[in-house]
Amino acid sequence: MNHPFLQGLAHIVRPDGLFTDASDLLTYESDALVHLRATPDAVVLPRTAAQVQEIVKLCRREGVPFVARGHGTGLSGGALPVKNGIVIGLSRMNRILEVDIPNLRAVVEPGVTNLEITKHVAPFGCYYAPDPSSQVVCSIGGNIAENSGGAHCLKYGFTVHHVLGVEAVLPDGELVHLGGPVLDTPGLDLLGVLVGSEGTLAIVTKATVRLLRRPEKVSTLLAGFRSIDAAGEAVSAIIANGIVPAAVEMMDRLTIEAAEAAVHPNFPKTDAVLIVELDGPESEVDELFAVVESLCQTCGAITMEVAKDQAQRERIWKGRKAAFAAMGRVSPNYYVQDGVVPRTKLPEVLRRIRELEARSGLRIGNVFHAGDGNLHPLICYDEAVPGQAEHAEHVAGEILTYCIEAGGAITGEHGVGMDKRSYMAQMFGADDLDAMQRVRCAFDPSGSCNPGKVFPTPRLCGEVPGPYRPHPVERAGLAERF
Amino acid sequence: MSQRVVEPRDAAGVATALQSAAAQNLAVIVRGGGTKSADRSAAVLLSTTRLTEGIDHVAGDLVATVPAGLTLDAVNSVLCRAGQWLPLDPPRSSRATIGGIIATNDSGPRRHRFGTPRDLIIGIEIALVNGRTAKAGGRVVKNVAGYDLSKLLCGSLGSLAVVTSATFKLSPVAAHSQTLVATVSDIRRLGLLARAIAELPVAPTAIELQSPPHRLLIRFETTEQAAARQSELVRAVCIERGAACTIVSGQPEADAWHAHESRVFSGAGTIVKLAVLPTDVAAILDRIATIVTERRLEHAIIGRAALGIVLLRLGGTLEAQAAIITELRREASGRGGSAVLSSAPPELLHNIGRWGPATDAMPLMRAVKQQFDPLNTLNPGVGAWEP
Repeated sequence: MNHPFLQGLAHIVRPDGLFTDASDLLTYESDALVHLRATPDAVVLPRTAAQVQEIVKLCRREGVPFVARGHGTGLSGGALPVKNGIVIGLSRMNRILEVDIPNLRAVVEPGVTNLEITKHVAPFGCYYAPDPSSQVVCSIGGNIAENSGGAHCLKYGFTVHHVLGVEAVLPDGELVHLGGPVLDTPGLDLLGVLVGSEGTLAIVTKATVRLLRRPEKVSTLLAGFRSIDAAGEAVSAIIANGIVPAAVEMMDRLTIEAAEAAVHPNFPKTDAVLIVELDGPESEVDELFAVVESLCQTCGAITMEVAKDQAQRERIWKGRKAAFAAMGRVSPNYYVQDGVVPRTKLPEVLRRIRELEARSGLRIGNVFHAGDGNLHPLICYDEAVPGQAEHAEHVAGEILTYCIEAGGAITGEHGVGMDKRSYMAQMFGADDLDAMQRVRCAFDPSGSCNPGKVFPTPRLCGEVPGPYRPHPVERAGLAERF
Repeated sequence: MSQRVVEPRDAAGVATALQSAAAQNLAVIVRGGGTKSADRSAAVLLSTTRLTEGIDHVAGDLVATVPAGLTLDAVNSVLCRAGQWLPLDPPRSSRATIGGIIATNDSGPRRHRFGTPRDLIIGIEIALVNGRTAKAGGRVVKNVAGYDLSKLLCGSLGSLAVVTSATFKLSPVAAHSQTLVATVSDIRRLGLLARAIAELPVAPTAIELQSPPHRLLIRFETTEQAAARQSELVRAVCIERGAACTIVSGQPEADAWHAHESRVFSGAGTIVKLAVLPTDVAAILDRIATIVTERRLEHAIIGRAALGIVLLRLGGTLEAQAAIITELRREASGRGGSAVLSSAPPELLHNIGRWGPATDAMPLMRAVKQQFDPLNTLNPGVGAWEP
């Protein structure tokens, strides 16, 4: 990378905001999907939106592609650096700028962690609803890029339902404001498509998020079942009775064992556990919770534990949220998938996964959001065994095919990123992808903002006037001009 | 100029019609139930009312895919057989089509709980002016694969593509519904009372204001017992603040809500949608009251009291309306909000514009429009984001 460009970056972010040494760059080689790695030419850590603008303008002048990064907790390689490009890390833009309790809004910078918002507004009886398992460390900017969900999105929706407005730097360096603290900003809902665009449209430098008041009552049930099918029937019965729980989570025997070994949540030693949580006004929750308990019993629950207090509730959730990390206790390595199936197709797809488990010789743990059909199969493998990592990846891919065949989706909350872009063409046709890429071309005609992610093949947005310059997508080695 | 009317029966037919119009450089107006169309004309009128085949309701998944030409009431009459509904209550739902509701991102009082089409849509199929059809999202509630074009299409006023079908997440129909009607003597107190109610540990599906008379309508849809308890809690606060309260259920409740909607949507005049912060609702109502009293204009107000959305119907001469709207626009803009003409005579639209001040996102909106509809074939004249 040429020296004047680096000097330009250093001038913008001051020398302490620029990293080019191999040892410093190591941290930024991957996100939480660690098997995909690439070394950026440089990493910059701006402190203001104006600095982000200047960096992006400089990149544009020099034809350098860039990748925005929050706290690197993504699970799809969305923040994977690109060849000959730089990483713009937003971790130093981490202030909560404004809290407006009467209007239930907060204005935050992208590097603020998800849980920080909730902690900050908890004294006012409020919280920020999306709660991905990584909420202690993941950033709001990353949540916006991925449209993060969490365990409670069955009732409360995703990041897109809780971000009211953003300030963002476009790939040409211009600053725009989409949405705002007030609802119904006139014009096209560009915010709606920016959220979940995986950092390919713009870099968010500020966000106005919606806060919720803590519900008066929260009731949590942990029920053990003899089989996944029986637990699934209980979920169906709850939905059929017109009850929309705040959360419905399911774990199978393997993930229960793993969670037990790691954080000792004292889960029953059954083939399946179901966590059902209702929240809302006390009068409503009490009445409906009794119905939920009775439905679980009817469907064959062999153990039932109702959280008596916050500590007991936290213990139950700790068991669930630790499930991914806990797999390390029962397997040297594991591969997480994130496919979604229509809830009614869960039994069928889980049966296929069990058959695949038997056929592949790899153990597959299942922990999933049962209310919305979002699977998180954990494929256990040992990278010390030659070929097993590739085998696990192949098995994970086959599960995605099951999800597509069942009418579902290849990703419920982790994003497509680099990891699943080759599966996009199985879920969407060429015309579908072309329509989506029109949005990309409107925001980023030069294709310099996180190129190579989401789409199986990039769309060149027409010739740029002036002398020939290699397209950033070409420079990154992702496409050839022909 | 004679107008050609096309009524395709499927998505491919819509795409073909659009491509053909674009090839001849003819403008196309897209029309559903015609509940919101202003008096506009173009060479081609594309009606979506024959796109009615293929409603697909999967009750166990709480989702349904519905064709764009069906009315909301027709859709909900199918869904309610399984005890579910698409929880939207925009005006004129017996005639408003799904496609039109998406194109305008329209909603009603129960937006308080359920949001707008944008919050409920999980998948979409569209026809583009290049003659192709495309889909985005899917049939599962949780899905982050690809760009969410369905949200972009919500509120795009048919200016990017024509929606041919959409998939929504649904809600169960509650066992019981009842509405507390609280009447106060002064419009200025409505905003404050609404805020006090919003802070209570209750979960109403609507906190709606109306004036005149100055009332709040607070709706509870849950079990009978829970609705009764929550109503009691709210009633106590209303009475403490000097409001007169009644509770209605069954037919009287349906009548009350119908009359509420009619206040703004059945009369003559211009309809303005004001959007402000919830804490600014009281000040905006105060401003409206002062202006309309000064000018003695016929008017009606309803609105989502706790969300900061106020709908104002104004009578009187166009000059008077223009003056008032300009003033309210200044007031709302000064508070970071907006005042948009939802329904107005062409002359008024021409004189003061539909939208108000442009934002810094306008060039980007134009770029998106340019990508989807480069010749400005679709609904020319509706969006400030036209090239």
